[in-house]
Amino acid sequence: MIMHEVLIVGGGLAGLMAALTVSASADVAVLSKVYPTRSHSGAAQGGFNAALGEDDSIEAHIFDTVKGSDYLGDQDAIEVLCADGPEVILELERMGVTWTRRADGGIAQRSLGGAGFPRGCFAADFSGHVVLHTLYEQSLKRGVKVYPEWHLLELLVEDGGVAGALVYDLARARFEVIRARQIILATGGYGRAFSKTTNGHANTGDGMAIAYRTGAVLSDMEFVQFHPTTLYGTNILVSEAARGEGGYLRNTEGERFMARYAPEKMELAPRDVVARAIFKEIKEGRGFDGHYVHLDLTHLGQALVAERLPQVRDLAIRYAGVDPVSVPMPIEPAQHYSMGGVRTDVWGMTTLPGLLAAGEVANVSVHGANRLGGNSLLETVVFGRRVGKKAAELIQQEPSPNLSRETVRRALEPWNALLLSRLPDSPQADSTFAVRREMTTLMTNQVGVFRTGSELEDAVARLGQLKARYQKLSPPGQAKPFNYALMDYLEVGYLLDLSEIIARGALARTESRGAHYRLDYPLRDDRNWLHHTFARRGGEGPELSEGSVAITRYQPQERGY
Amino acid sequence: METVIKVCRFDPGKDTVPTFQEFAMDLEGTQTVLDALLLAWQQDPSLSFRRSCRSAICGSCAVRINGRPALACQTLMQQASAHGGPIIVEPLPHFRQLKDLVVDLEPFFDSLKAVVPWLVLRDDYDGRMTPEVARRLEGPATCILCGICDAEFDETGHVKPAALVKALRLAQDPRDAAGIHRLRLLQTPPEILKLFLKELPEKCPKGITIDASKCL
Ligand SMILES: Cc1cc2nc3c(=O)[nH]c(=O)nc-3n(C[C@H](O)[C@H](O)[C@H](O)COP(=O)(O)OP(=O)(O)OC[C@H]3O[C@@H](n4cnc5c(N)ncnc54)[C@H](O)[C@@H]3O)c2cc1C
Ligand code: SF4
Ligand code: FES
Repeated sequence: MIMHEVLIVGGGLAGLMAALTVSASADVAVLSKVYPTRSHSGAAQGGFNAALGEDDSIEAHIFDTVKGSDYLGDQDAIEVLCADGPEVILELERMGVTWTRRADGGIAQRSLGGAGFPRGCFAADFSGHVVLHTLYEQSLKRGVKVYPEWHLLELLVEDGGVAGALVYDLARARFEVIRARQIILATGGYGRAFSKTTNGHANTGDGMAIAYRTGAVLSDMEFVQFHPTTLYGTNILVSEAARGEGGYLRNTEGERFMARYAPEKMELAPRDVVARAIFKEIKEGRGFDGHYVHLDLTHLGQALVAERLPQVRDLAIRYAGVDPVSVPMPIEPAQHYSMGGVRTDVWGMTTLPGLLAAGEVANVSVHGANRLGGNSLLETVVFGRRVGKKAAELIQQEPSPNLSRETVRRALEPWNALLLSRLPDSPQADSTFAVRREMTTLMTNQVGVFRTGSELEDAVARLGQLKARYQKLSPPGQAKPFNYALMDYLEVGYLLDLSEIIARGALARTESRGAHYRLDYPLRDDRNWLHHTFARRGGEGPELSEGSVAITRYQPQERGY
Repeated sequence: METVIKVCRFDPGKDTVPTFQEFAMDLEGTQTVLDALLLAWQQDPSLSFRRSCRSAICGSCAVRINGRPALACQTLMQQASAHGGPIIVEPLPHFRQLKDLVVDLEPFFDSLKAVVPWLVLRDDYDGRMTPEVARRLEGPATCILCGICDAEFDETGHVKPAALVKALRLAQDPRDAAGIHRLRLLQTPPEILKLFLKELPEKCPKGITIDASKCL
């Protein structure tokens, strides 16, 4: 059995930031199903928000975030996020991040959606990549132990607390048990529950689903962000930075249609507002080929696009066949981010002793019903650092948890059986691929940007049927190295659990708020719904309950842009 | 378009030498070799290959396509099939094949350690950097650690190519205490370094260019 004081699951920005913090005072290891530098944080383009500017203020950042969240964000957590922002940005710069600079040598900042000031610190449009690799360099410096391509399968509980993890080493096709005094989940989001998503293949919600199965509370899962501008077809992201640098959205009539939806903020209204506007344009017949609209950068000039948006340009040329310097890009909205996640307090502590969480997997909740561009990357580093501090503190205070042989034996039994199971001799009628395809299409079509009670009811019923089909599949459980089919099978299981919680939460919430938009309940309803949705695993699927929202400074107002 | 891809298969528990398996499929020319591999995987779920971002930013899917190291997700089908025959996909050369297209990355990531691959902050750094210097660092900072340069360049001395890129970025960083002195530690002969810098932009999937005048 392997032992560490603190085990971090996930090697993206949140996980690495936590690891660096813990490594200052305790023994730590990072478990990651892809090599840390392959984590999806590296795909983030736009930037990290922080109120560094002279005219800007932490107060203004807090207000924009609260308003952006449609008043569902917890204001105590938002205060932490915004107050720690500037310091963390400077800490990253001392670690080696190559932030893009102003002429006077200071850190440049760009406008991102829903913000009153240019607040996004960036490295061209490789912001996530550059910070991820810098944190990785620092982890080499500190000698942080990494278990690459090891998958978390199960959290082991003893006396009501998390005391270890059952994990799978993909290369050696072997199970291992890792004992740890504190475990931090930093496993990212579940974008792959949707057929149209900006997320990479590894974003399958493992940590959220495993925490839920272990008994942790998930919160606000019905709030799913759809990014307005992804390349039509592949759904590869075109960062909000493209609009921040001055890009226009246009319909078939060449009109900047955002003028009719958000006359003040225009293209830089929050994402929920822009995504709905685009769908409305398409629905009313002003979309190209009936499917997409244009994101037009042609007036910005080659020099600016090449300097500030080099990756966006490359991606558009390669994957959409257009050079945005001279031709508008075809874009459509797609799933992008999960506001919901494992419920934590402002220190990353979940409802289970011994288990903490930070980053996209967590819901602390700084984004409420809608996240602002640039706030998620900030969240990963601010709360990654905090959760690391907390874990290091807890191992000083709390006694080492017990993990009995019996618990380990019982946990391992079904997994060992799985590895020994033989593949069926005859070809099967159903497959993981088929279940995944139907689930993801269903989620995009019926649990997407516009929702209705009847479609959601149907979605819940059909997800139930998909789950039943999933149970009958024979797991591809051969003990071979790099058995991706087995991982895929498990991941579809995680996604089915989460999809059910998302759809049920969306069905229950009979109002529209932020990214959750019900055509049959188009207004926000603070009297009945100004609360979080908590989901706990029950005998028959998720049990939903209400959680109160921390409101410290700003009472809910109407949210106009 | 109707396409055939031939994928290198190797199962260490069973095979002594690699073999090829053919997959026939129908794909758009604007789809990628990664899309083709994902379809092949549906036909035979025992096929192993790495992938994550599918947008050329994570470095997972480096393989050898028709003999040349490349990112599967960055190579369009129309490019890969331009020569007419089947598309041949093999693991990266110079790396140990573990299974099918999956190679051993441990020596690759280990090789970075040879160059003190992190910023050693100068005591007197004042938090300012000119936009020009920042832009110069940006090029090598886009390295995705895909390993393609290590597969392409046979000889760069005791420091491997990707590690060299990292060292050259840090050497040009005005915040770094060792800075340009890092070059001496590399012990890469100048002719070899020159050739490397000349050929890198074309061989690296991110087209990384490093200003040779600042490094020699
Ligand atoms: C294309 C794109 C662009 C974005 N741009 C921006 C932006 O400009 N600004 C902004 O603020 N936000 C942006 N976001 C959002 C932001 O990038 C993410 O929310 C954030 O990076 C998530 O970081 P993380 O550390 O929580 O998770 P990730 O970076 O997703 O890392 C998850 C880690 O968990 C590991 N893992 C997962 N499951 C398991 C398991 N079962 N066992 C072991 N390990 C596991 C993975 O290997 C990985 O290392 C963007 C998102 C996308 C998809
Ligand atoms: S320098 Fe280029 S080829 Fe080499 S590892 Fe980095 S991205 Fe890959
Ligand atoms: S899958 Fe990330 S580089 Fe190809």
